[in-house]
Amino acid sequence: MARSIIFGRYSPGKSPIHRMDPRLKLTAVLVAMVVILMSNTYPALAVAAAFVIGFYFVARIPASTALKSIAPLLFIVVLTALLNLFFVQGGTVYAQLGPLVISQEGVHFAIFLSLRLTLLLCMASLLTLTTTTLDLTDALEAMLKPFARFGFPAHEFAMVMGIALRFLPQFADELHTIRQAQLSRGAKITANPFKGGLSGLSSLMVPLFTSAFRHAETLSAGMDARCYHGGSGRTRLDPLTFTRLDVAGLVAIAAMAVCVVAAGMFHM
Amino acid sequence: MIEFRNVSYSYDPAAAAKAPDAGDAQADWGNSPDELWALRDVSFTLNDGEFFGIAGHTGSGKSTLVQHMNGLVAPTSGTVFVDGVDISDKHAASRVRANVGLVFQYPEHQLFASSVFDDVAFGPRNMGCPEEDMERIVREALQTVDLDFDAVRARSPFELSGGQQRRVAFAGVLAMHPRTLILDEPAAGLDPEGRRELLALVRRLHGDMGVTVVMISHSMDDLAVMADRILVLNQGSVWALGAPAEVFADAQACKSIGLDVPAPQRFANVLKERGVALPQPAGGLFTRESLVEAIAAAYRGRR
Ligand SMILES: Nc1ncnc2c1ncn2[C@@H]1O[C@H](COP(=O)(O)OP(=O)(O)OP(=O)(O)O)[C@@H](O)[C@H]1O
Ligand SMILES: [Mg+2]
Repeated sequence: MARSIIFGRYSPGKSPIHRMDPRLKLTAVLVAMVVILMSNTYPALAVAAAFVIGFYFVARIPASTALKSIAPLLFIVVLTALLNLFFVQGGTVYAQLGPLVISQEGVHFAIFLSLRLTLLLCMASLLTLTTTTLDLTDALEAMLKPFARFGFPAHEFAMVMGIALRFLPQFADELHTIRQAQLSRGAKITANPFKGGLSGLSSLMVPLFTSAFRHAETLSAGMDARCYHGGSGRTRLDPLTFTRLDVAGLVAIAAMAVCVVAAGMFHM
Repeated sequence: MIEFRNVSYSYDPAAAAKAPDAGDAQADWGNSPDELWALRDVSFTLNDGEFFGIAGHTGSGKSTLVQHMNGLVAPTSGTVFVDGVDISDKHAASRVRANVGLVFQYPEHQLFASSVFDDVAFGPRNMGCPEEDMERIVREALQTVDLDFDAVRARSPFELSGGQQRRVAFAGVLAMHPRTLILDEPAAGLDPEGRRELLALVRRLHGDMGVTVVMISHSMDDLAVMADRILVLNQGSVWALGAPAEVFADAQACKSIGLDVPAPQRFANVLKERGVALPQPAGGLFTRESLVEAIAAAYRGRR
């Protein structure tokens, strides 16, 4: 297994999408995700998919990278598909096996929802693939600022998110090393509790958690040493600014919304 | 006996399949982070009973290489034979793991059990050793690494000092009674005292117990005095393989791939540049004692 491009890892580049203002990019991605959520016909979904593919094209991220980045989360898609397949009833019955019934509606929902979910994941992944954690944190902080008036710890919240994102790939790497080490000692690492899977799992999880605590301690010591004191009075080296690029991004998202809604009506 | 035959390895085999041959290296020095090949066409044979050193700059593929030795990773191309058996097959690999013990870099980070006893017993239990032998096995393993069995058996490994934790992790691998022991920078991050003790332990394992040892190290001084043969990797390729005296013969060439020669030899080289040539013993100048002798011999020769 390679040092995989996992969900949340930044893929460096200089494309227009990489260079967009992170605040705007975050908003745009959220809007796009809402649009995808609201598209409830196949044509609407197809148009949305076309736009998402277009965005990836502009960002110059190859399909393989995109797929690898969402692969670990595909189990959610599969789970949703299976649940819908078996629990949504209606229309012609295709197959029946005891209490399990596969019907036309079930198949329809399973396919439709998994497509929609995949698109959502792709969109979210596009954000993390093209935005550094630092930018993402700043964007989040900027968006949460209004709530700070009501006592919401906007800066701290964004910082926590940023740190979490930063350590995701790191923990994936460490988990990989720990797994190799325990395999060398003959560990049988399966999730099956009847085959000693539990001790196998604890041999992974305990070292992973101790390493998380170790990182947390060094990180907090490092932040202290550099006089980190929270959000108030902090400034940025390169202040964020909106550019023409961002206007183009807004237009693209608006176009996506209009096209998707139009495609949805066309079907009705 | 472990044999590598034309082994190349890539962490991204899909991309490597499209790329040209594994043979050509392009970076001036070191590996670029997105380098396609971690190992290129590596061939050598590790003999039983040998002390085999592995050196090379950071990212040269040392860790990747040793992970091939117990089948944790399978070559992208080429074959690894352990005692004549190709271990690319999963079952063959898991059988080999009982005989080839691998101690990772910072092994104490892989401790997990609630007591030292259970952690050391993890390997033997996985191999199916009967529970009534367990106490004896763990006792022996802890004794080998100079830990007091009765004092530490019930303690949590996390309460111990860093150096002690490393010994427990060592014992966890030794308890499986491997015939070949692979150590990835065993002394990294230890204080000088801990370092000396650990290297003495490794020497004892090799000398008294006849274990075949493969040791990765960034310390050429340690490798030169301990190893029978040294394999030097550069950008994933075998750059040199031979006795320490052969490998460190050309200090300039060593330097060009980011490798130091052992300190006594370096001292002699500097003296030579300044016009004081020391007699060069056949075994190389790798210990302080041999350096002292050489200086004494040169001094006597002048008078
Ligand atoms: N899990 C991984 N995924 C992708 N590439 C990796 C992975 N581990 C190592 N590499 C790459 O493979 C190459 C060889 O790495 P390796 O860890 O074997 O080097 P090393 O000689 O052990 O270095 P060091 O002295 O720093 O331990 C490097 O270019 C590294 O970036
Ligand atoms: Mg290494």
